Amino acid sequence: MTATTRLTGLLIAASAAIVTLAAGQTPLLALQRGGAPAAPENAPPPEPTPRLADGHPDLSGVWWTGGDVGGRGYGGGRGRGGRGAGPAPPTFTGLYTPEAAAAAKKLADKDDPTLKCIPTAFGTLNVSMFDVGAVGQIISTPKFVVMLTETFHGFRLIPTDGRPHRAEVPPSYRGDSVGKWEGDVFVVETKNFTDNTWISAEGRVSPHSDQLRLVERYRRPDKNTLEIEATVYDPKVLTAPWTVPKQTLVLAPFEQILPLNCSEL
Amino acid sequence: MTRFACVYLVVLMSIGITVPLVAHHSFAAHYDMQKPITIQGTLVNVRLTNPHSWFFLDVKEADGTTSHWSFEAGTPSGMLRNGYKPDELPKGMIVTITGFPAREKPKVGMLQRLTTADGRSYGMFGPQEGAGAK
Repeated sequence: MTATTRLTGLLIAASAAIVTLAAGQTPLLALQRGGAPAAPENAPPPEPTPRLADGHPDLSGVWWTGGDVGGRGYGGGRGRGGRGAGPAPPTFTGLYTPEAAAAAKKLADKDDPTLKCIPTAFGTLNVSMFDVGAVGQIISTPKFVVMLTETFHGFRLIPTDGRPHRAEVPPSYRGDSVGKWEGDVFVVETKNFTDNTWISAEGRVSPHSDQLRLVERYRRPDKNTLEIEATVYDPKVLTAPWTVPKQTLVLAPFEQILPLNCSEL
Repeated sequence: MTRFACVYLVVLMSIGITVPLVAHHSFAAHYDMQKPITIQGTLVNVRLTNPHSWFFLDVKEADGTTSHWSFEAGTPSGMLRNGYKPDELPKGMIVTITGFPAREKPKVGMLQRLTTADGRSYGMFGPQEGAGAK
């Protein structure tokens, strides 16, 4: 990614924040920097976490940040969580090895694989089930947790019993996932990625290697809230694991994501 | 902030562009925001696809020929959840699109606003303004 591209990205972010401010909403950048806003006064008490027959939390639902891109509520509500006070944590691109940084400089937005309908390895909003979008759906059962993305017909079928990764699975755009419960937290490990997608860390397209590994922790503290913490490992590209800013999603007011095609111009 | 950055922000604010924070690629990299254009033509197709939607127009040129324009809009999910209906703008409708031309591709643009002959107006993400906007 060139310096100009990075500058453009910052400008777009600033523009979006200004427009959002003008619309009377909580600016997304403020959420990223300062943490989730307080619940409005007189808000009803949160409803309890739904649970499956086996007692584990039921993660099912359509989740978003409070709206879709371009709509009111996008990035608002209790959407994207912040990191609180203190110095800024490392960014994904800030952890690039010198070799990776040099390789990234040769890429530009026109090289973005998603323009050819190829998924990201992670997610534009740092939420893997969003891919290049702002909405995802979870269907939770005792045996599998299924995460569905609205863009590119993507899915992750995650066994919940702590089994190891399958050996016979070829590398894929979205990787192979396994999961287990640690109390009320669903821990997902995903690896076995191809190296020809981009990760879209921090909303920016970013290359990764076939050694990419994601560890995500999903928690539903109440009916309307899904918290996601994630760590990204990629020893070929990063000098240290990248801790993704915590994401706090809310239930969308509809039960199904959309079937949407993808095509190049 | 550099002079370029200041100018860019002022331009965006002045023309009211609502570019999404997480645009998977930079519109500014593909389209020349310094050269706004207005094109009137006949709608021949609306493609509600990822990663972005497209509006296709047939445009009558001064010499009597017909040219074909393509305008990139927002994500289909964002448009639909803002209230845009898949059959809302039928083929054959005369529309006017204001936007910005692609830097490298002729007769390709970014849609900033689409208006119909009966006065309906749509933004990059569909009907973003008025009582029906979500």
